[in-house]
Amino acid sequence: MLPTKLQTSATSKTRREIILEARNVVRKYPGTTALKGVDFRVYRNKVNVLIGENGAGKSTLMRILAGAESATSGELLLEGEPVAFADTRDAVKHGLAMVHQELSVLPNLSVSDNIFAGQELSRFGVVSEGEQSARSAEALGKLGSETSACVLAGALPLGQRQIVEIARCLAHRSSILILDEPTSALSSAECDRLFTVLRELKQQGVSIVYISHRLQELLDLGDHFTVLRDGLVAGEGRRSDVDRRWIVERMTGRNTQPDLSPPTPADAGGDLLRIDSLTAMGQNGRLVLDRVSLSARPGQILGIYGLLGSGRTELLEMLAGARTADSGEIFFRGQRCSFATVSDAIRCGIALVPEDRIRDALVPDRSIRENISLAGVRSFGRCFVSRRKEAERVRELAAELKIKANDLERPVSSLSGGNQQKVVLARCLLTAPSLLLLDEPTRGVDVGAKAEIYQILRGLASRGLSIVFASSEMEEIQQLAHRVAVLSLGAIVDEFDASAASEDRLFSAASGLRTHERENG
Amino acid sequence: MNKVAAGVPLTPHSSTASAGKSIATLLLKLRSVLALALLVVFFSSMTSSFLTANNLSILTKHVAITALLAVGTSFVILAGGIDLSVGSVAGLSGMTAGYLIVHGIVFASGDPHFLPIWLVILLSLLVGGAVGCLNGLLVTRLSIAPFIATLGTLYVGRGVALLISNGRTFPGLAGDAARHNTGFPAFGQAYLLGVPSPVWFMAIITLIAWVLAAKSPFGRHVYAVGGNERAAQLCGINVCRVKISTYAFSGACAALVGLVIASQLEAAHPATGQSFELNAIAAVVLGGTSLMGGRGSIGGSLVGAFVIGVLADGLVMLGVSEFWQMVIKGIVIILAVAVDQLQNRVQLRLAGGR
Repeated sequence: MLPTKLQTSATSKTRREIILEARNVVRKYPGTTALKGVDFRVYRNKVNVLIGENGAGKSTLMRILAGAESATSGELLLEGEPVAFADTRDAVKHGLAMVHQELSVLPNLSVSDNIFAGQELSRFGVVSEGEQSARSAEALGKLGSETSACVLAGALPLGQRQIVEIARCLAHRSSILILDEPTSALSSAECDRLFTVLRELKQQGVSIVYISHRLQELLDLGDHFTVLRDGLVAGEGRRSDVDRRWIVERMTGRNTQPDLSPPTPADAGGDLLRIDSLTAMGQNGRLVLDRVSLSARPGQILGIYGLLGSGRTELLEMLAGARTADSGEIFFRGQRCSFATVSDAIRCGIALVPEDRIRDALVPDRSIRENISLAGVRSFGRCFVSRRKEAERVRELAAELKIKANDLERPVSSLSGGNQQKVVLARCLLTAPSLLLLDEPTRGVDVGAKAEIYQILRGLASRGLSIVFASSEMEEIQQLAHRVAVLSLGAIVDEFDASAASEDRLFSAASGLRTHERENG
Repeated sequence: MNKVAAGVPLTPHSSTASAGKSIATLLLKLRSVLALALLVVFFSSMTSSFLTANNLSILTKHVAITALLAVGTSFVILAGGIDLSVGSVAGLSGMTAGYLIVHGIVFASGDPHFLPIWLVILLSLLVGGAVGCLNGLLVTRLSIAPFIATLGTLYVGRGVALLISNGRTFPGLAGDAARHNTGFPAFGQAYLLGVPSPVWFMAIITLIAWVLAAKSPFGRHVYAVGGNERAAQLCGINVCRVKISTYAFSGACAALVGLVIASQLEAAHPATGQSFELNAIAAVVLGGTSLMGGRGSIGGSLVGAFVIGVLADGLVMLGVSEFWQMVIKGIVIILAVAVDQLQNRVQLRLAGGR
């Protein structure tokens, strides 16, 4: 229905080169501004690449384009006409569909039910199974997939599920497809399949918006490039004008590199932690960690540069006792150990600040005080918690970490992202760790709090704490780490001192060049 | 909500919120106490016999049954679970006690051994605790949804209670001096300092539960597990152990209720406690505890039990029919939860409008 309408409007005017345009889009959240006036153009039948570090505003912009969020100000033009989407369904009606970063396939339904979930084709109130599976098969066929439309989606491997998601968009006759990090969970063979599919879709008249951290695939696939940095467009160009250096320069910003030289590590003794050939298998038989060996010293900050799906979270959770390895050994203070539970690890002096504080760390309804003391509440009394001792220690930590809260009895959910992160950090410090693990230490944290957290971590390291953090932000790695390891597809592909951590080296290691060589060779 | 632990909310927010706002939130927080006070005022104005010592003594005895169950299930619900088996467990523990008193324990060959009453009581409580542990194991080790697991033990427990006596009642639990097992009726009928024993049990169990919930590391762990299980696990909290403990506590409280009832009747009836679990859950919910877990208090559950008890007894005294009583109870529960949601929204608005 809609594509025809689009086509008539397009033929009546001259067929526009730009199918969708965002003009001066601003999006404010309480405390932060994610987009500060962004212009973004989607060219017809092209792969439009959007690049930027975490927190640059990519996902926010895409959610606005797909109708999942609305802009604080600014406008959207579809085929030159101003539009406003009420919600994602409305956007789908206009031909825009988003393939989400977290796959949203319903595992309990068949492929064709998934494709038509929420928009079932029905006649007299009864779902027309036949028509649904026919159209599903057609969409899957276009994608070169041999998946049958009647198998359960849950039985499919991840790559196939991704294809089902794209088929869902095609079956709704979407003309603009937004893909947010589609390859983060895919194997390299699955990635290749996806790229072939995307190129074919382009031929068939679909315009694609593509977000990814993997530079190599962007350079292979992209036609138009837009770089976001801190909520602003930092650069825009055609494929012919763009190369690796161009992207890296705009992503990281040449001029603004404050305090890049990392402080020199305190001269430390032997290794506090050494891991040897740690290997773990994922659910789909893919290696999550592939013979990872690393060591960490007191007073040293080790930065692990890894993108989503690189295995960084799994590695840290393993060290914190929240996950077990299939093979390999962990030595802590020179002794071989395997942490069966998190409390074992905490008792040994290892604490983890998880990646997603809302999901994995905070108890939102409880007070700031209780959230800080949660992991070490037994230290204030085994049978009765001494409120006096507890409040005293919590107040000390809150002051030390500069947690900005009027009242530590207020629910932790009332704090800003940066202060919530400090609460999680304070909780870890309360257990008196000698090894502190942090997964994306400043995710969703504003610039000011970010600098404070860096300051805190440097201070802790200078007091002899060993710190291991994982991050997908190059700048963070460069600013904070004394030593850098690059994790890609579960394996350490490069390791060097911070002084050698150029953007180029980080990027080429992480973006898959070497892993491709390794896999083929 | 953490200060509300005793059902006696303390200070309103010390922030700069205007007096009107803080009074509004305070009233919302105190609503179950207010509702209770209103009910008492209402019933005492309607019938002169309501506010008499005799009636209050009977009333608190009734309330004690619901309160013990509600306080027990509170932990389960705070940790994000639900316990439907408490009524059956009450029946089962009463029947266990009845069997031990009437038949004793028969070893491989020989005469039955009759146990002293304290041991009978202890064993019956252990049976309740064991069913609770079973619930906890089903929920944690076999990952069965709490609703289903405890629904299963509800049926199994009731069935076993009926099997023990083949559906018959054990009458005459007064015991036999020759068997050295007299004294069971005193367990639920005795008075100490003029207060009936069930009320003592209620007071002691509530106190213990309140200390556990509000003052002990275990309580913190329960709230954490209910509020964000994954976060609790990553804090080194043994989530399985916490959950199993909550079910075991709930089972033991239910067993105590079964013993009190059997003792008061001097008979153990296998159908004792039918649909008690619904009263218990209703009391917990009336007390402001969220069925999603992580939010609520022991004191709230106690007040909730009183609201249910006062409502039931008061309506009986007014001569309201049993059918209308059910309708009214249902409406009160729905109202309570509706007000709970209203409070959440008001608090959100106040927090946002700071």
